[in-house]
Amino acid sequence: MRSLLILLPLAGLILLNLPGGLLAGLALPAVAALAIFEIVLAVYLPTAAFPALEQVQQLLHLSTPLDSLARVLLLSIGIVMLASLLVLHATVKAQRRRFNVANVLLISLMGMNGVVLVHDLFSLYVFLEVTSVASFVLIASSGEDTGLEGAFKYLVLSAVATVLMLSGVAMMFLFAGSTDFSAVAAALQNNSGQLLLKIAIGTFGCGLLIKGGLVPFHGWLPDAYQSAPAAISVLLAGVVTKVSGIYALFRLGISVVGLQTFSPVLLAVGALSMVVGALLALRQNSLKRLLAYSSVSQVGYIVLGLGCAGMGGPAGKLGLAAAIFHLFNHTIFKTLLFVNSAALEQRTGTSDMSVMGGLGSRMPITSTSSAIAALSIAGIPPLSGFWSKLLLIIALWQAGLYAYASLAVFVSVLTLAYMLTVQRRVFFGKCREDLLSAREASGGIVLVEAALALVIIGVGVLMPYVMNSFLLPLKGGF
Amino acid sequence: MSAIMMWAPILIPLAGGLLVLPMRGKSGLREIVALLATLANLVVAIANFNSVGTWTGQWVGHGLDIVLLNYQFSAFILAAAASFALLVCLFCFRFMREKTSANQFFAYMLISLAMVDGAVLADHLVTLLFFWEGLLITLMGMIAIGRPGAFKTAVKAFVIVGISDLCLMFGMAMAGLASGTLVMSKMHLPVTDAFNALAFVLMMIGAIAKAGSMPFHSWIPDAAVDAPLPFMAILPASLEKLAGIYLLSRISLDLFQLTPESWLSPLLMIIGAVTILLAVMMALIQKDYKKLLSYHAISQVGYMVLGIGTALPVGIIGGIFHMINHAMYKSCLFLTGGAVEKQAGTTDLAKLGGLARKMPITFACFFVAACSISGVPPFNGFFSKELLYDAALDRHFIFYIAALGGSFLTAASFLKLGHAAYFGKRSSEHDNVREAPITMLLPMLVIAAACIFFGVHNSWPLRNLIQPVLGARLEGHDFAGWPHSMRLVWLTVAVLAGAIMNHIAGATVYGSGINAVDHIHYAPLLKPIYEQAERRAFDPYEIMLDVAAFIARGAWSVDRAIDWVYNRLAVGAAMLGSTFLKLLHTGDYALYVAWALAGAAIVVWYMVS
Repeated sequence: MRSLLILLPLAGLILLNLPGGLLAGLALPAVAALAIFEIVLAVYLPTAAFPALEQVQQLLHLSTPLDSLARVLLLSIGIVMLASLLVLHATVKAQRRRFNVANVLLISLMGMNGVVLVHDLFSLYVFLEVTSVASFVLIASSGEDTGLEGAFKYLVLSAVATVLMLSGVAMMFLFAGSTDFSAVAAALQNNSGQLLLKIAIGTFGCGLLIKGGLVPFHGWLPDAYQSAPAAISVLLAGVVTKVSGIYALFRLGISVVGLQTFSPVLLAVGALSMVVGALLALRQNSLKRLLAYSSVSQVGYIVLGLGCAGMGGPAGKLGLAAAIFHLFNHTIFKTLLFVNSAALEQRTGTSDMSVMGGLGSRMPITSTSSAIAALSIAGIPPLSGFWSKLLLIIALWQAGLYAYASLAVFVSVLTLAYMLTVQRRVFFGKCREDLLSAREASGGIVLVEAALALVIIGVGVLMPYVMNSFLLPLKGGF
Repeated sequence: MSAIMMWAPILIPLAGGLLVLPMRGKSGLREIVALLATLANLVVAIANFNSVGTWTGQWVGHGLDIVLLNYQFSAFILAAAASFALLVCLFCFRFMREKTSANQFFAYMLISLAMVDGAVLADHLVTLLFFWEGLLITLMGMIAIGRPGAFKTAVKAFVIVGISDLCLMFGMAMAGLASGTLVMSKMHLPVTDAFNALAFVLMMIGAIAKAGSMPFHSWIPDAAVDAPLPFMAILPASLEKLAGIYLLSRISLDLFQLTPESWLSPLLMIIGAVTILLAVMMALIQKDYKKLLSYHAISQVGYMVLGIGTALPVGIIGGIFHMINHAMYKSCLFLTGGAVEKQAGTTDLAKLGGLARKMPITFACFFVAACSISGVPPFNGFFSKELLYDAALDRHFIFYIAALGGSFLTAASFLKLGHAAYFGKRSSEHDNVREAPITMLLPMLVIAAACIFFGVHNSWPLRNLIQPVLGARLEGHDFAGWPHSMRLVWLTVAVLAGAIMNHIAGATVYGSGINAVDHIHYAPLLKPIYEQAERRAFDPYEIMLDVAAFIARGAWSVDRAIDWVYNRLAVGAAMLGSTFLKLLHTGDYALYVAWALAGAAIVVWYMVS
């Protein structure tokens, strides 16, 4: 059944581009249908129905058990893809461009699903490249100079990542004779002292850190997020970098090399990203750029949790659960914030906060949902972000990493500071004269905003249920 | 005795008070309701007088019940309180007629009466505390409805009495802990160990603060000026003295076993002696009828505390006797002050004078009460003071001298007051002053007559009301009749004669009654002290406010410093870091690639090493 997640986008791509453009008008509904299918699959996880599909699965080297981590990511991909489509529908009116973007979105969807599902280092690399190439095109799809610049920076740093990852895979292949996760893991165990293997782990990991946009590998990220069209920045920030960078890092650590081998690196990089991202977010005029730096900071939290997981013991398990939980929460609230910025861009034509103000009464749903997301990202109870940060800090404390725990608390304050600055500059205060005619964003965007805000509140308020049915199994799952 | 009769002294005034509270008009109905309620209360008090009974109500369990006990001592206090309430109510019939807040005054007065009755009947510390605190609320309310600006004084009274009540509460808790019960009649704690002694001191503070002893006195002179005058006659002059001294007697006699050997006895005596002297010194120089009386209301408490503090039968009898005598003559004095205020329009002694001709009955009542408070034989104050002198001299002659000195100054200040208000030159604007109406005269006359009766026939109150309080501890003594030590009587008479001579001399030298004590007021050493005192430099409340303000200023600067750390230092550091990082991000992708490669190099180097 899982192979459908890769086969269907591929088939869709072919069908949409049949000569004569017979099905071209169905481009957006097709992608939406696939996204919904993915959400349903992630939630219900049906057992295999057709033996033929099982064979494809083996052929593609898809991981045999679909663990909770993969399911969380599939769910996130589905949700963010849907949100991105609705924003695309609201912001791009030209049929031709919609069709083009939808095509590339299908490729991106296929790439991300592949990254989540594969069980082979080289396949992982291939799907990462598919996702990245799709992203370059999507970022540049507006056709403007800034978009090209952002795409180019991403391209250059991705090339560096490619070199690092490919060399890493090559070195591991040298020892394992295969690139299958289990084979590589076995080879690493048998040759634990080998210099080349250590270098291989380091280079492969650094490639993933570039994809994930962690400090000091983050140079491409703000430009890419800022210059991409609204719908694309939603997708990029919400899920693309999370899947291609963070999820792959999770997978590498859990299934291949063992987290404990590089947990100090993860802790250091995570803490650095957390602090630097938050500090840079404090002084931005562009809302999208601010949110990009905020992403760097929040991804730092997730990687910090992953580093904590490498410390082992109960605290490590709690840290892993907290990291995965925060990954999901971050997907939701960062998507919502970028949808908010898309709504503002739709009505004011810009994402420059210095020309906004007093929009709260004119765009009530955008304002309210933005406030909810801001409070959640800053870790204010009882919203979802509070719980994941709380668990993370508890895990760090239990693991004896007091300095990192204190740093996480401190960055929460910075987070609150810059998110409240956004709220004040954009929604509070006196409305500028040229914005007096601004009104609430169009229906699709408002729908996404309301739905995501409800998810944030729901996950936060129903925490005991989430804890028992979702987080505790995660903890014991690895 | 039945539960109804037990609760009647509490419920009748309470119901009357709640009934009167909404009556805002000037129909006279509220006066009648108040009068009926106090009258009914007096009837109940007399009916209950000889009965003994207890009533226990389940409340929260765990030893926290409502327990009332009616016995000889409480019945005596109840009857006295009921009498004063009725007489003051009668006085207010005309006095409060035109006041807009009269409904509140009557309501608070009746509720206060109910609370005092409850406190006196209570035989459980928590029950006692409930009524005691209830009294605090009505106290504040009665002061607050006075002249504009009285609210500040009300807050002052509330804070002072509230703090002392807090002490009482802690004392109660400690006493309950030490004795294992909260039922008052079951407690008999020795004061030999420090814990019990502290409990005694804390409870004593609650009691003497209610009575108005120093250093919890400073709201009383302010209230004399700000509050409606009958308030002074009913609460600080009578009801609060009754309640406070009743409680002091209870804790000294029943709850704790105060002995002359304990260090607590001298402590109480010192508080008493200091209160007598300092308050009367302040009374001496007052130029206002009401304010002068209010300082005496403080000073006289000193005699009672001194007497009970001796822990001798004669002292305790004298203290309780002085309590009832004081309640009589002081409420009478305040009522004469009220009559003067009502008829002449002022209580400023500089504007008064020569009223004896115009208001002969008021003056006669004043004369009797002033003789009583000064301790002139054969009025009631003389006999209670003689008992107190006897007890004080028994302990140490220094206390006797303090008490006798207090009497000298008391007599001097009342000579001054009487001279300034009732004799001397009458200002022309008071030519048309007439005698007070009968409803105001009647209470004064009744109390004045009682002052004479309690003096001439002191065996009745002593044998029927006061000596039974001590019971077996009396050891067969009988203090009724003429004082047994003629030597002390002669000394008293000599002091009184000295006061009269002092006054004549002063009045001759300065030419008027009001300035007759100026030679004391402006004596070399006393003048600067008096000036400081008039500026409230010695008011514990003001000192406490200054200290609080000092602490508040210190806390404020600490708060500023913390604010600075958050608002300036933390924000500044964050902004500095932010600016620095922003400068690093030039947008040059080659630089970003270099960072990424450097980062990768560090990671690989770490992995290898």
